[in-house]
Amino acid sequence: MTLTLEHVVKKYKDFTAVNGLNFTIGRGEIFGLIGQNGAGKTTTFRMILDLQDQTSGTITWDGTPIKKINRDYLGYLPEERGIFPQMKVEEQLLFFGELRGMKRDELKKEIDFWIARFDLEEKRHEKAETLSKGNQQKVQLIASFIHKPQFLILDEPFSGLDPVNRDLLKNAILLLKDKGVTILFSSHQMDNVEELCDHLCLLKRGVSLFSGSLLDLKKQYGKTKLTLRTNVPLNELEKLAGVKGVKVDRDEYVLTLVDETFAESIFEVVSNGQYIEKFSLDYLSLDEIFKDKVGGNVE
Amino acid sequence: MSKLGILIKQLYKQKVRAKSFMLMTLLYVAIIGVIMFWSDIKGIFVNEEALEVALINETPVELESIFLTNEDIAFSFPADSKESVYNQLKEEKYDAVVVVTEENETLTADIATYSPLKLNDQSTISSFVQYAGKIYGIQQLNLTASEADKILNSEAIITTTNLNEAVADGKSEDQKQSGIWASYFVGIVIYFFIMAFLSMITTDVASEKGSRALEMLLVSVKPSTHFQSKIIGITLLALTQFTIIFGFLFVLLRFSDGGEKWDMIQTILNELSYSYVFYVLAFLFLTIILFLIIGALFGSLVSKVEEASQVMTPAIMTALVGFYVMISGVANPDTLLIKVFSYIPLTSGMVMPMRIGATDISTIEPIISLVLLIITVIVFYIISLSFYKRSVLTYSSGGVIQKIKTVLKVTT
Repeated sequence: MTLTLEHVVKKYKDFTAVNGLNFTIGRGEIFGLIGQNGAGKTTTFRMILDLQDQTSGTITWDGTPIKKINRDYLGYLPEERGIFPQMKVEEQLLFFGELRGMKRDELKKEIDFWIARFDLEEKRHEKAETLSKGNQQKVQLIASFIHKPQFLILDEPFSGLDPVNRDLLKNAILLLKDKGVTILFSSHQMDNVEELCDHLCLLKRGVSLFSGSLLDLKKQYGKTKLTLRTNVPLNELEKLAGVKGVKVDRDEYVLTLVDETFAESIFEVVSNGQYIEKFSLDYLSLDEIFKDKVGGNVE
Repeated sequence: MSKLGILIKQLYKQKVRAKSFMLMTLLYVAIIGVIMFWSDIKGIFVNEEALEVALINETPVELESIFLTNEDIAFSFPADSKESVYNQLKEEKYDAVVVVTEENETLTADIATYSPLKLNDQSTISSFVQYAGKIYGIQQLNLTASEADKILNSEAIITTTNLNEAVADGKSEDQKQSGIWASYFVGIVIYFFIMAFLSMITTDVASEKGSRALEMLLVSVKPSTHFQSKIIGITLLALTQFTIIFGFLFVLLRFSDGGEKWDMIQTILNELSYSYVFYVLAFLFLTIILFLIIGALFGSLVSKVEEASQVMTPAIMTALVGFYVMISGVANPDTLLIKVFSYIPLTSGMVMPMRIGATDISTIEPIISLVLLIITVIVFYIISLSFYKRSVLTYSSGGVIQKIKTVLKVTT
C-alpha cells in the first residue's frame, strides 16, 4: 500500500503554495516532509487528507484517488493542537474512535493500552483543558491513531514536548511503524527527522529540492565534516589542503572539507604518526544540509 | 451509528449537560413562574392598603353609589366641612379628597392631595369621576334609571360582510385580537430562539475552529456532514429547551387558579384557524433553520471564539429589526411597514403570522411569503455549505467582509 503524489500543484489567486510535488511512500515507511514555515507542508497534508483540492496533479493510495478511499484509513495530528477542551480524556478518545468507525469494546482496549503507554492513567477522567500542554499533545496524538489508521500524518508532533515525552512519542511512532502504519510527518527538529525517517522530501517555497532516501541526500554532500581534537593550531588547520573552513566547537575543531578524499592527508598532518584523541569523518547532519539547501551555505 | 449521528449525539450531550444551558432553562422557567404568579408574589412582599379617598359631593345629585369601594380604593363620604376634611388630609387620614361640584350644568371635580398620588391611583380616581360625570349629564335630562342604564351600557351589534370573493372571509374582532396575541407570542419565541441559539451555534463552530478540533473532525467527516450536525444538534437542543419551558408553562396554566388561566388561553386558541397554526409552525421552523444556517456560516468565518460576537452582529440586528416591526404591529397590524417586512425572509417569520392572524389578508400573500422563505433557506443552505467547506480551514483577521474576501482569495 503506497501513497503517491504526482506533479501536484496548488495555486491560489496570487501565489503557488505547492509546485509540481512528486514522492512515493511505501507501506510501513516513515517519510519526512521538511521545509521552512510557509514551504507548503501543511497545504500538502491537507491535499492528501482531501481537506483542500489540488489545482492539478494526482494523489493516490494504492492506485486509488485519495478522494475515493475510506477516510477512516487516515489519521491526522494537526500542527496546532485540536481537542475539545471541555471533554474528558477517555470520552474524547472514545468520541474520535467511534467517529472513525471503531466499535466501543475494541476502542476501550486500545485506549487502555495507549493511556498506559503514555503515562496518562491519572488523567483519564480529567477534562482536556486541565492538562498540561505536553499531556494535551499526547491525548491528541492518541486520538489521531486510536482507530488504527493505515496512513498517519503527523504535523510537527514534537513541538513543545520535553525530552522524556519526546522519547515516548518516538517510541510510539516506531511501534506504529512496526505494525505496518505508513507515517508522513513534518518537523523543524531535524534530529528527530534524521532519527526516524527512511525517506524525506525537502520543500522550499512549494518546490521539492530533494525527494528520496536520507542516505542519498547525505551522499550528495559526501563525508565532508571532519571533527578532530588536536594540538595543531587553528591557523595551521585553515591552511591545510582541501579545507574549506574551520569552526571551533569547545575543545574540538570542525573542518569542512572540499571532499572526503582530503581526509587521509589531513590525518597524516594532524597525527604526525602520533596518537590522536579524536578524528571523525562524517556526513553532514540533516540540520546542516537543510540550512544549506533552504537557507544558505553550511558554515 | 452514522458519523452524522455520532456528531449530533456528541453535540447534544455536551450542550444539554452544560451548566449554562441548565441555568438558562431554569431562568426562563423562573421568569415565567414569576410573571404568572406576580400578583401572589407581590402580595407576599408588598402589603398595599387601599387608598383612602374622601368624597365631598356639593351637587344636588346622589353620586355616592357610583364611587364604590374596591380592594385598591376605599371611598368615604364624610359629613364634615370641606376645611375639616382638608385638615384631615393634611394629617394624612386621607390620601386624597375629591370635591365634586356643578358648573354650567357640568360636573367638575377637584382632587386634593397632601402627598402625590401614584399614576395608577390618579387614573383610577379620574375614571370614577368621568363615569360620575356621564351619570350626572344623563340625570340632568331627567331620564329614568333604566333609560340611563340603557344609554350607558348599550352596544351596537357588528357583523362583517366582504363582497370581494378574492379576499378570505373577514375575521371578527375577537379572532383578530386572538391573532395579535398569538402572533406576538410567536414573534417573541422566534426572537428569543434567535438570540440564544444563533449565538450558541456560532460560538460552537468558532470554538471548534479556534481550538483546531475541527481539523481533526474534518479528516473523518465531510464539511457538509459537520455543518448538518451543527444545525440538527442545535435544533434538537432548542426543542428540548422549548419542551421543558412549555411543559412547565402548560402545568402552571392548567393547574393554577383552578385552570382559569388555561381557559383564557383556550379561548384565544379556539379563535385561531388550522391554517393559521400551520403557517405559524412553518414560519417558526423555517426562520429558526435560516438563522442557524447563518450562525454556522458566521462561526466558520472567525479564527477564534472571541470574534464570534463580532460576526453575529448583523444577524442579531436583523432579528431585532424584525422584532420591533412585529411589536409595532400589535398596535396596528395593517401598516405598510408590516406589509413590507412580512415578505423579507429574515423577518417574515416574526411579522407574517401577525398579518395572517390579525388582518384580513388574501390567501396568496402568506403563500408567497412562505415560498420566498423556503427558497431563501434552500439558497442560503447551498451557498453556506459551499462557503463553509472553504472557510472552516481558513484563518484570517479583520471584519466580516475582510474575512469573506480572504476566504475567497485563498480558496478560489
